Amino acid sequence: MTAEGDNQQPRWLDAHLHLLDRQVLDVHGVPVAVVDDLELSEIPAGQEIPRDMSPPVITALLSGPALATRIFGARPPDSRLVRTPWVAVREVGVVIKLSVGRDTQDLSWTERWVRDHVIGHIPGGRHTPKNEESQQGNERGGS
Amino acid sequence: MKRIFGLALGILTAIGGFVDIGDLVTNAVVGSRFGLSLAWIVVVGVLGICIFAQMSGRVAAVSGRATFELIRERLGPRLAVMNLGASFLINLMTLTAEIGGVALALQLVSSVDYLLWVPFAAIAIWLVIWRVKFKIMENVAGLVGLCLIGFAVGLFLLGPDWSELGRQVVHGVSTGTEKATTYWFYAVALFGAAMTPYEVFFFSSGAVEEGWTTKDLSESRANVVVGFPLGGLLSLAIAGCAAVVLLPQLIGVTALSQVMLPVAVAGGKLLLAFIILGVVAATAGAALETTLSAGYTIAQFLGWPWGKFRPPAQAARFHLLMIICLLVGIGTLMTGVDPIQVTEFSVVFSAVALPMTYLPILIVANDPEYMGKHVNGRVLNAVALVYLVIILAAALAAIPLMIITGAGQ
Repeated sequence: MTAEGDNQQPRWLDAHLHLLDRQVLDVHGVPVAVVDDLELSEIPAGQEIPRDMSPPVITALLSGPALATRIFGARPPDSRLVRTPWVAVREVGVVIKLSVGRDTQDLSWTERWVRDHVIGHIPGGRHTPKNEESQQGNERGGS
Repeated sequence: MKRIFGLALGILTAIGGFVDIGDLVTNAVVGSRFGLSLAWIVVVGVLGICIFAQMSGRVAAVSGRATFELIRERLGPRLAVMNLGASFLINLMTLTAEIGGVALALQLVSSVDYLLWVPFAAIAIWLVIWRVKFKIMENVAGLVGLCLIGFAVGLFLLGPDWSELGRQVVHGVSTGTEKATTYWFYAVALFGAAMTPYEVFFFSSGAVEEGWTTKDLSESRANVVVGFPLGGLLSLAIAGCAAVVLLPQLIGVTALSQVMLPVAVAGGKLLLAFIILGVVAATAGAALETTLSAGYTIAQFLGWPWGKFRPPAQAARFHLLMIICLLVGIGTLMTGVDPIQVTEFSVVFSAVALPMTYLPILIVANDPEYMGKHVNGRVLNAVALVYLVIILAAALAAIPLMIITGAGQ
């Protein structure tokens, strides 16, 4: 499959090697999740696939419960899947970079919950040991 | 000038940070039972950790990826989840042992039971993780840990028969009571104490924390290649002290006080105070490293934001996890389990878990997509492959040897 939305040369991606289990960073370079599984466009199950049908494309990166089902089999109900739409993917490299901020994704609700209910309440929880480091930190972790 | 200072500081930190409770206890136990006849394994282990740490640090500096992200990428989720489970549990065990070590050392100073020190030690560890800058944390622990040089001083003050010690290194000790399996069991334990996986998790994640780039590579190499072997010399000094004082008297090491006994014999109260300070710093430093490593491994496996360079609120799950790990450590120690025994088990299991951590790093260090022109050179690869064999052998032998020898009894 080729990565869409790339203005460079079309590049072959091996889903297993280049997409699955890769770190996903948001537009600020902050880790969001790991690609636990991929969602492909629907292929009719149990029928012969017509020859002229377009090949399936990746519609979303999955994370969260998809990891457990990938290891142990089965499939979580659709409502439990945590999706990042493929259109939000900006770059596929050593890490996968998104073109959106992480707070727009429902991916990080556990992170937000822990922040708002636990860590944010402990004194000093919202300060960095040194201020300018937090700004550097945003650019780190990816390049 | 600033560069030289930075380099010297890094090397000193590496020396002081090399020894942890595992090295302290295992080296003293081995010294008291086998003299210096296992010194060669310390050399093997130190060279191994140099190669491993240098590779993982280089991978982190060049690709910005820390060890556990790569483990998952390269091993796939199934193997990685097993590796995570094993590494995390061993790390938790080491963390418990380190906190126990801090508490035991404080008990020696204060005569207050170590169990009362445990919660304070753990809270102090947490406060440092919560508030202190990464660089300061690392340097202070490492520099104060340099007090462990007192073991080397003690060894000289004891005025041992050096030719006898040399003979032990080459020919072994003829105590007649120790079996060959016990010898090899402790060989594996010493190897595990020198090459503990958490050191690599911490080292590679630390490279990301400090924002290393390719420009920092030569400095990091110097830190490792000079600092770790000098730290290894401290390990040998600990074993040497035990070999000179404890071995002839047939005193077995079952408590931290016995580890320090030879130093007290050699240098009296002053040197002992110096050593205790060193032990507190070394174990507290390692407790910090293992606590952070617990957070690093899980956060990297699951793709959470992590790191001390972020405010805790921006790495909330990472910090919550570390708090939980410290609480588990306190809880475990409060059951009255002997921290020295926890230590002995943790070093053996470290040896078991090592291959699954080592292999992915070796593979990625050779991958041009990540490393560009900084891939492993031929000589390094040759040595690294030899080590892969050694590490596999140690991992496979560890559990059978533990069962046969009844964990070295």
